[in-house]
Amino acid sequence: MTVLSPEPVQGAPTSELVLSMRGIDKNFGAVQALTAIDLDIYSGEVVALVGDNGAGKSTLIKILAGVHPKDGGTITDGDKSVTINNPAESGALGIATVYQDLALCDNLDVVANLFLGHELGRGTIDEVEMEKRSWELLRQLSARIPSVRIPVASLSGGQRQTVAIARSLIGDPRIVILDEPTAALGVAQTAEVLNLIERLRERGLAVVLISHNMADVQAVADRIVVLRLGRNNGEFKVADVTYEDIIAAITGASDNAVTRRAQARVGSPEAADDAVPPPDVAPPEEARP
Amino acid sequence: MSSRRNPGSQSSLREANRARILDAITHHGALTQVELAAVTGLSPATVSNIVKEQAAAGVLATTPTSRSGRRAVRVTLARELGLVVGLHVANRQLRLALADAGHQVLAERMLPLARDHRADSELDRVMLLIRDMAESVGAGLDEVLAVGVGLAAPVDPRTGLIATAGLLRGWDGVPVAEELESRLHRPVFVDNEANLGALAEYRIGAAQGVRQAAYLRLSHGVGAGLIVDGRVYRGGSGKAGEIGHVTLDEQGLVCRCGNRGCLETLVGASALAAKFPGSHGEVKLRDVVLRADAGEALARRVIADAGRHLGIALAGLSNLIDPHRIVVGGELAEAGEMLLSPLRHALERSTLATAAGVPEVVKGELGERAELLGAVLFAIDRAQITAGRTDGPIRTVAAAPAPDILPGIGGILPGLSPQISPERGGLAS
Repeated sequence: MTVLSPEPVQGAPTSELVLSMRGIDKNFGAVQALTAIDLDIYSGEVVALVGDNGAGKSTLIKILAGVHPKDGGTITDGDKSVTINNPAESGALGIATVYQDLALCDNLDVVANLFLGHELGRGTIDEVEMEKRSWELLRQLSARIPSVRIPVASLSGGQRQTVAIARSLIGDPRIVILDEPTAALGVAQTAEVLNLIERLRERGLAVVLISHNMADVQAVADRIVVLRLGRNNGEFKVADVTYEDIIAAITGASDNAVTRRAQARVGSPEAADDAVPPPDVAPPEEARP
Repeated sequence: MSSRRNPGSQSSLREANRARILDAITHHGALTQVELAAVTGLSPATVSNIVKEQAAAGVLATTPTSRSGRRAVRVTLARELGLVVGLHVANRQLRLALADAGHQVLAERMLPLARDHRADSELDRVMLLIRDMAESVGAGLDEVLAVGVGLAAPVDPRTGLIATAGLLRGWDGVPVAEELESRLHRPVFVDNEANLGALAEYRIGAAQGVRQAAYLRLSHGVGAGLIVDGRVYRGGSGKAGEIGHVTLDEQGLVCRCGNRGCLETLVGASALAAKFPGSHGEVKLRDVVLRADAGEALARRVIADAGRHLGIALAGLSNLIDPHRIVVGGELAEAGEMLLSPLRHALERSTLATAAGVPEVVKGELGERAELLGAVLFAIDRAQITAGRTDGPIRTVAAAPAPDILPGIGGILPGLSPQISPERGGLAS
């Protein structure tokens, strides 16, 4: 899992461990939201975080974004342990989060939205430079935005998502977290956002994608981490997993009375006298011809 | 969107501005004049003048519209001849283009796909994307004359079905043409992706004017399209050019086609990815190329080895159909000379020497869009044949190029009633 390529080449999209979460716990009063969650984030990789409603996906990324502090566990960046107590510390670690509601200002134009809070220029705002940089950024992302000087309110859903993602790139992050980026979009806008995710991956960024849409997840993700009821419930490489396996892990279909009995039998063979013998065991001596 | 040029005279400045406006409209589909001025950086007066001039020349079309409550002029490319749709379904992505009969692509969409995508759900999405593209250029679906489809598997020209099961699993046994026709109510024609790539490179790309040529597509899988005597050669059951499933090593690995030691088990995307042990996550073809470009020795070696294997397979192909030029396309072709020089070397070593020398090997000019543009060209050709069959307003395409590429368009057609021969997947020679 954590094998790294020995000599990362400059400029090439090699996969390096950027951030590692181990044994993360979080509770809200009596509700245990997360229990011993592990998550590794690599550069140049799209990792999808999937799970049912209430599985803890949003809580986990809110810990990364600095919205909620964790109650237990460790977060390591390289070989040093880090804490994320507020959004500013999250930003300082190179983590950018795009929330489901996008948090754009509808009345401002694209340039103003992109640079909101990071305006360029000393004393006076350097509108020309900001507009130039906006075009540059949007072009790198192959975005289809007719003009950067129109209010965000007049853009389509996919274009707004594009602006929100582009804004997250202004601070030159290492990790981009996308919370349900395609949830409210039509097919054409979804296509735009999925292409954008591929562009981010090619730029060597680590992308954490939260989505309920398995078609989207399987199209762009490299690795899928399944959460269920606040615990890790499987990690898959997209290359060798089927749709059914993922759904089984999300819904817990792979965790029922039959599988638990099978596991118990593996643990202690004598414990399951009353159960039918497992089919892979050879029949007893006298039954053989 | 083009970079600023340094014009020498008034007229060349005007020419450059005209090109800039056309580029912007091609890229965005449709724009108002105000948006055009913002995108191109030209003054509104210049934009207005050029648009007026080009509209009079029949290149652009203008329609009145409103923008933020004000009157505005919406500018699109003129498309009096009707539209065609090109669709390319590859293993991990889908590309769509809406073009007019003059080969001008008006709108383009790309969508990454899951590993084992299925025909029904993807065709539903294609339907929505086509509708969206048509809307973006202000057209209706009834203006679409034909749809050309390229699939990442051999397609039997007699049935229009995928000829070999297992190569595009979710699409096996699906009559793609009928399925899409029932959704769109427009004629649909299906062919293999490499055949369409070959068609595009032959007509508008790197093999222009070369009547004996081969096109090699190096992507998730490996395939080839053959141009024999200036026509796409499809073979008896559509598997002509399936070079990816030529056996190179009888003791090799089992291929997804069910045989052993195919070329694809040596140079396919997953075979190349497997040569990067210890790297975390999935290594995609683009990653291999990017790594090699950055100077990583392992990636360069993997690409060179792939070139060598391909050269040996192409030597066989060259001995059989004797092309003058081999065009290499697909994602791996982006590696350029890193791939092509070992390929040429192996090809020279293994092919039969003739007085004319060995076939010339060049990189494709159309890049990843070759198959998509091929699908558009295919649809334009076919729209002409079946113009009488469409139940919408009948429009024959005037601007179609010399129709000698596909058998059936030139000589056979006049005596051949389209109703008798539905010709789903292209005509067998």
